[in-house]
Amino acid sequence: MFCRDAVKLVAELNQTEDIKPFNEAVFRQVLEEVQSLFEENSKDVNTITEDNTAPKNTLLVRHYAMNRNKRCLLTYLFHRMRRLRQARWELGSIIPPEISKNLIKPEAQWFHNYNKSLATYMRTIGEDGLNILNDIQPPKSLYIEVRCIQDYGRLEFDGQSVMLKKNTYHLLPRSECESLIRQGYLEHVSS
Amino acid sequence: MDVSNDSNGLDNSAFENGGLNDAEAEFESDEEELTSDKALQVLESAWLNEKFAPELLPHQQLLVECMVQQIKHMEENVQRLTKGDIRINIHTMEICRIRFIISSYLRKRLDKIEEFAVHLLKEDARRSPDEKYMTTAEAQFARDYLTNIEKLFETVALQHMPQRCANFDLDAISMEPNLKKHVFARANKDIPTILISGVHEMEVSFAKGSQHIIQYSAIAHLVKDGSVQLI
Amino acid sequence: MFVKDLTKDFYQVVAGKQCLILVNFDVDGICASKILQSLFKNDNVVYTLVPVQGVKDMKSAYDDNAEDIEYVVLVNCGGNVDLIEILQPEETVTFFILDSHRPYDLKNVYNEKQIKLLGDPTLEEAIPEYDVVFNDDSSDEEDEEEFSDNEEESAQNRRLRQHEARINKKIKRREWEEKREEALFHYEQLSYYAKSSAVIAYEMSWQMSRDNLDMVWWAIIGSTEQAILNKVESSTSVLESGNLQSHVSRLTHARGGNIDKQQLSAIKVTYDKDLRLALYRHWTVEDSLKHSLPTAVALRLWSIKGEHRMRELLAEMGLPLCQSKQKFTSMDLTLRNEFKDMIEKLSDKYKIRSIVSGDFTMQYGYRFKYCATDIVYAMLAILESTGRDRPPQLCFLEASDCLSRMKKEILEKGIEKAKIMLGYVFKAAQSLLELKQVTNAGNFLYVVISEGMLHHHLFAHPHMLLMLAQFILRAYAESTRSRKTATLPLVASATFSEEEGTCLIVGVPPVLEEQPRSFFGKAFSQAAENTNSFIDQDYFDVTMARLKSEDRPKFFDALSALLQ
Repeated sequence: MFCRDAVKLVAELNQTEDIKPFNEAVFRQVLEEVQSLFEENSKDVNTITEDNTAPKNTLLVRHYAMNRNKRCLLTYLFHRMRRLRQARWELGSIIPPEISKNLIKPEAQWFHNYNKSLATYMRTIGEDGLNILNDIQPPKSLYIEVRCIQDYGRLEFDGQSVMLKKNTYHLLPRSECESLIRQGYLEHVSS
Repeated sequence: MDVSNDSNGLDNSAFENGGLNDAEAEFESDEEELTSDKALQVLESAWLNEKFAPELLPHQQLLVECMVQQIKHMEENVQRLTKGDIRINIHTMEICRIRFIISSYLRKRLDKIEEFAVHLLKEDARRSPDEKYMTTAEAQFARDYLTNIEKLFETVALQHMPQRCANFDLDAISMEPNLKKHVFARANKDIPTILISGVHEMEVSFAKGSQHIIQYSAIAHLVKDGSVQLI
Repeated sequence: MFVKDLTKDFYQVVAGKQCLILVNFDVDGICASKILQSLFKNDNVVYTLVPVQGVKDMKSAYDDNAEDIEYVVLVNCGGNVDLIEILQPEETVTFFILDSHRPYDLKNVYNEKQIKLLGDPTLEEAIPEYDVVFNDDSSDEEDEEEFSDNEEESAQNRRLRQHEARINKKIKRREWEEKREEALFHYEQLSYYAKSSAVIAYEMSWQMSRDNLDMVWWAIIGSTEQAILNKVESSTSVLESGNLQSHVSRLTHARGGNIDKQQLSAIKVTYDKDLRLALYRHWTVEDSLKHSLPTAVALRLWSIKGEHRMRELLAEMGLPLCQSKQKFTSMDLTLRNEFKDMIEKLSDKYKIRSIVSGDFTMQYGYRFKYCATDIVYAMLAILESTGRDRPPQLCFLEASDCLSRMKKEILEKGIEKAKIMLGYVFKAAQSLLELKQVTNAGNFLYVVISEGMLHHHLFAHPHMLLMLAQFILRAYAESTRSRKTATLPLVASATFSEEEGTCLIVGVPPVLEEQPRSFFGKAFSQAAENTNSFIDQDYFDVTMARLKSEDRPKFFDALSALLQ
């Protein structure tokens, strides 16, 4: 049956929300299937004459199969791209290695270009630009209590510096903590 | 403590320069002198509208730029206050709040632009420069976004496919917003007739201050000119 | 140096700057730090808080975090050790010590520049004068210049006089040193606890008019812990409760409005006569009677006869057995209401001493009603529940979450853990008493939790071992009926770490002593010196220490020789 590999790709998307390693093997199989369908079609197209119209249905079936394959491939790419975009908004402009090792070069290239266009856009807001990736949550208070779950080192801000070591608690300004909370070094302690 | 709606929220007397001198000049040309309070209110209502409307609303670039400048002025003024002054906390909170509203507003717009990129570019191409829904920067962002997608598809999949199939029409990923979605709305002034299309054609009228649930398509034009506020 | 006006000399100095807070792993410390944290949070003071378990922990926490920090606050730690020596800080660092351990190390008391002890110096006992302890004279061989004015003296006479003067000086110096030794000995001999740090922190916030019912509740819990673990004598804790009660009523009245018609969702703190039965509202009556010190000791519930006696008591109270085996909250309403009075009436007959005492209860909303002792037990259980995937710092965080009103589930978990903990303490005590493993070494009793015992690894935690030791001592004194045992202290020991071969020892003062002052701190270190054993007095409470298991027998011998 045609398109079985393509469906496998889409099913893989459904399994988890993360970006899994790029399934190059199956991807290539689908492309090969498209290529072989096309070749068979072009062969059969030449055999169609006034009398022998039977192959027309086969042609149609193969044509639809090719389109379906194409659609599945593009869906796979599109959804991986959307997840990558989500990662940019959540984790910042540097992708952690757990995700970046699952990407292929064009995807990394896309990420780089997306970063660039986002940065260009943000620069145009106001005079110096505004980083709209901060302030995801409405601010409740200026300072928040956080717990450090991984060694980070020195954090400097506003003329003061704090040493962030594992298993210590701190009261820090919200703006400094946000990105560290997102990266997983700090944990908000709600009281 | 709702400082933003307090008449002293952006306390001009605390600052040596009133915050809005430059932006006020811009607005004067529109024959409407916006005080800092009013500007914040307009920004908040624009933010709420953008949040709840299914489609991208006309941009408010002037307002955004004005508020960003306002934030900068406030930050400079806060720097000048001595440490330990209680006003620092209050003004810093205010700055954070305004920055949050602006960021949230722009993020929501970017989300919608990415979702409806093809459709929006097409629509804006039809409109005159004054009426465009996207700012030039946003339009550029949309175009870049689409170009990047095309490049990605091209390099990974399409160039490995036979020539006949290797075309890709951007319209294939174009999405149009669902204008028939229902939204909560509050009328800011009396509106005599609103036409609701659908199975039964109906005409309703809104009294000032009343709140309704209604199809977005029926009041889209009212949201855009400010007579109705989405909540 | 002492700082009496906490607001001016401590809080206002630290406000607006950055500080490092080091907190000891005990309930009182957690309560005090919670009060400080909420004050700092409202003032946006950037702080770093590190929980520490012992002196080594304190040093490493200080080294890790103290770059560029000028103010360090030590809660329930550091008062009784020579801080400057241990931490080697920079000249610019100031230490504020809020510690209930006594005696203060004299170097901390007399350090004017860097160390500030938060508390009222007039309440401190018998601190030796500066001159008695420190000798400021510059040199010993200070030659006397005044002898050189009379030049007509012959050289020989002069030399003679100088020699005499030198001898006199030496004699004086030796006298001074003897006096110093004596004063130090008297001062450092007994270790005890002073006013709860949480209460001091609360009073500071009261001075600043920033107190509220939450803070007074935390102060109550801090002082209740001291009462439960017998760190202070009962009269002091009663006085303290009176003091706290006046704060509570002031704050409740300050809220305004008719007290009876207060919204049920507001928090309410009340002070009532209550039974000293551990966790009885959350447990079955039988269990609670079994595991609480006063009843268990009086009825000797570790033996079978004791069980009979308990059933007798229940029968006299009119409490059917099926009811007493149910959870307290599911008992009949009439029985529940009468329970307190019945126990009170029968306490004399069964010689249950001091079963009734005053206790605070906090009520918040409809389903949150706990008394202070319950919360103390829950926090202790959580603090001691360290395990492989529960590092001490997580336990610290959970224990301090117990104090917040919003985290009811953690509090409930803590109470369940506390029930288990009390159960283990009782079972261990029972087996030790039945197997007669409490040995009398002449001047003191000792008991060793061997590795064959069930759950022995749980007693590697200081508080659990302390509770077990107190239980065993009282139970033993009750069961042997000899007058002498009531005057003997007890040392309990349990394996701390099997790989390193260390064990934990805890010393408990005798039953008859009204004031819980213990000489074990000094005794341990002296005995270790005498036998050349390795002792690690790492804990801030000096009656607890770690020892090498192989040194234990000769250590006990040395201890008994010392206590002659």
